[in-house]
Amino acid sequence: MATDIIIPSDLWDGDEECVITAWLASDNAQVTEGALIAEIMTAKVQYEILAPASGTLSITKAQDEVAAKGDVIGAVS
Amino acid sequence: MIVAPFATAEDGIAREAAMFQAGKPAMLLWQAEDHALVLPSAVARRATLQPYLHETRAAGYQVVPRGTGGGIVPQGPCTLNLAMVLPHGPGFSMEDGYRLICGTLAEALTRFDIDTQTGACPGAFCDGTWNVTVAGRKLAGTAQRVRATPCGRVSLLHAAILMHLPDPGHWAEMCLLHQAAFPSEPTLRPEAHTTIAALMSEAPRHQKSFPGALIRAAEDRLISLTLREEEAA
Repeated sequence: MATDIIIPSDLWDGDEECVITAWLASDNAQVTEGALIAEIMTAKVQYEILAPASGTLSITKAQDEVAAKGDVIGAVS
Repeated sequence: MIVAPFATAEDGIAREAAMFQAGKPAMLLWQAEDHALVLPSAVARRATLQPYLHETRAAGYQVVPRGTGGGIVPQGPCTLNLAMVLPHGPGFSMEDGYRLICGTLAEALTRFDIDTQTGACPGAFCDGTWNVTVAGRKLAGTAQRVRATPCGRVSLLHAAILMHLPDPGHWAEMCLLHQAAFPSEPTLRPEAHTTIAALMSEAPRHQKSFPGALIRAAEDRLISLTLREEEAA
């Protein structure tokens, strides 16, 4: 069963979008729950995204793509 | 010693990163001796920018990537850096972080009868909504980094305060790099900025008092927020 990687909806108040500035693990790589796997940025704030589970990473939004709060940017299965 | 001296901006940023990783309430006021240009890691990685970064280094200026967003920031004797680390719950938003660091600077400057605002400042370096401005000119830029921990989130809040304008060579390199990295943004203009030296030119002794006022304002706010977070936990 896959666990979605979701941009938390409470990181900022407004409706601004963010940019995925880096994936720190590759598509299909093995990741461990709690590991730093991605960085997103909005309004000069960089947020670290951690793996929500251990398993194989599947990236659905690539580096430099725009995303919104609550968006699924990948999954771990 | 109120202002921690570092030989290079890289050293100062490394100390900030160590504080951020420790995840405990902390603050640091620091200044680098060497001239450098600091830019977001995501920008520094762009392949198209590498020739320009090479030229900047060849001109004698260090290029230092940092883990927060925004544009290019001059570092060296012209810039005083305030870093604050705050562990907090999920109710503390990006805007709360910006209000905290901009408010700290505003409070410190109020002691010298200088009123500040926040807002964008076209033509300023590393422009953003949460600049600290005086009479429409940028005095300081702010940025943040946020990470999740098993105990909640930790924010690193950062302000780069202009003590005086970068020297002409430093300024010219920053402009060239800015145009290469952000071609659609306005050209950098010196008149879009103000500095502590300019604001306190009639009372130069205030320039020496300013770091003390800033650290006291930061300490007051950090203690107050830490107590509030502990009570909420």
